[in-house]
Amino acid sequence: MPDFSPTQYAVPFFVVAVLAEMIWARLRNPAAYEPMDTLVSLAFGLGSTVAGALFGGFAAYVFIEAYQFRIFDMGPEWWSLWWAWPLCFVLDDLKYYWVHRAGHRIRWMWASHVNHHSSQHYNLSTALRQSWTGSFTFGLLFALPLVLLGFHPVMIGICSGLNLVYQFWIHTEAIDRMPRWFEAVMNTPSHHRVHHATNPRYLDRNYAGVFIIWDKMFGTFEEELSARGGAEPIRYGIVKQLGSFNLLYAVFHEWIGMVSDIWRSPWRHKLSYLLREPGWTHDGSRETSDTIRAKWRERQEAAAATGVNQVADRNPIAGAAEAANSSI
Amino acid sequence: MVIPPLLLQFLVSLTAILALYGLARMLGFGSKPKLVDEASVRFAAGEVEDGFVAERIAISKPGDTALARDANAQIMVIKRHGNRFAGRILSDQTLVREEVAAIIVDCGDTQFGSVRLSLDQPSIWVDAINRL
Repeated sequence: MPDFSPTQYAVPFFVVAVLAEMIWARLRNPAAYEPMDTLVSLAFGLGSTVAGALFGGFAAYVFIEAYQFRIFDMGPEWWSLWWAWPLCFVLDDLKYYWVHRAGHRIRWMWASHVNHHSSQHYNLSTALRQSWTGSFTFGLLFALPLVLLGFHPVMIGICSGLNLVYQFWIHTEAIDRMPRWFEAVMNTPSHHRVHHATNPRYLDRNYAGVFIIWDKMFGTFEEELSARGGAEPIRYGIVKQLGSFNLLYAVFHEWIGMVSDIWRSPWRHKLSYLLREPGWTHDGSRETSDTIRAKWRERQEAAAATGVNQVADRNPIAGAAEAANSSI
Repeated sequence: MVIPPLLLQFLVSLTAILALYGLARMLGFGSKPKLVDEASVRFAAGEVEDGFVAERIAISKPGDTALARDANAQIMVIKRHGNRFAGRILSDQTLVREEVAAIIVDCGDTQFGSVRLSLDQPSIWVDAINRL
């Protein structure tokens, strides 16, 4: 049985790549990095490996138990079946799409996954900003069909690791677009910038891990519009930016918010605060990605109807200056 | 002394993280952008909440914080966060107190923290916030 952890072997590459991107940023885009943000992101990465070592055993136990009930048996030397590896990799990526989509659309899952999105920066250190609390969600259930199909948990673990390693390099602004054929099939920096954007146009889009085809198949694909073509620049992070570099707050803030909402809400709504989309409230007092996008569309349509370009709202020369001491 | 492999891995990773942090500082990242004019506040406010169109604006003298009010009388406080800006729409729970030539706005979000704004005539904004 192979004993191989792709992410562990990739760590030196991660460090060298972050170094290289820092040099690029120094020369081309100094605002791409912020030391405290980088420190928090990297601490997230280290903490997630510790959390994985502490709590990952439960998922392994569940998978090993479930493996006994597999439908197809690949035999004791399952690792020697060459065709099983690419098949497992593709199916695991399909699983990743759905677990990732759930990570954005179910608040319980989002409480964990939000960690990866809470930086206002988008660089290779953001890729390492991994959750500490994934073991406290039901994400592992998404892998059970693979186990029951007969893929050994170790094979799935290796494929998931390779998937994660692939996703590292796409967290960058240093690469604009890949060749068209590559952009059509694979997840790329351009596609994933969309995923990390908070612009209403891009919210909850491009959930893919390795193959962008899943988003195209399931209707969640959004193309990145070029800022050079006049599109608004991408804003990274979360709708309500943390405004803090406190690591523990960054890790647990959504869990605290969710538990607090469940605690304070009427009984009939408690489960909804756990299972409905982030931002949902029983009194409609907050916004979800859907309502934000709907309002944005309304504004776009209104602006188009009146012939006013929305960009003018942000034009530096638009609007007269108003003194701080004027009446408000 | 034998160090367990996992602990060794942790310590090596921690060292690499601190080295990268140090390098990021050494390379001069982490500039302090300023809110220099109303346009920059409008831009930041639009980033905090898409669709927020600031009509009244007050920029703190150091350019690190600002207040903005829209047509619906919503007031937003904006502060520099690293080399970006973050903000909050103020609610009726907001606490504001006046100091000499400055106001301290506490939006109720502990981690976001209190925001100090050094303004020319802060009392106008204090009144506006208290009216929320």
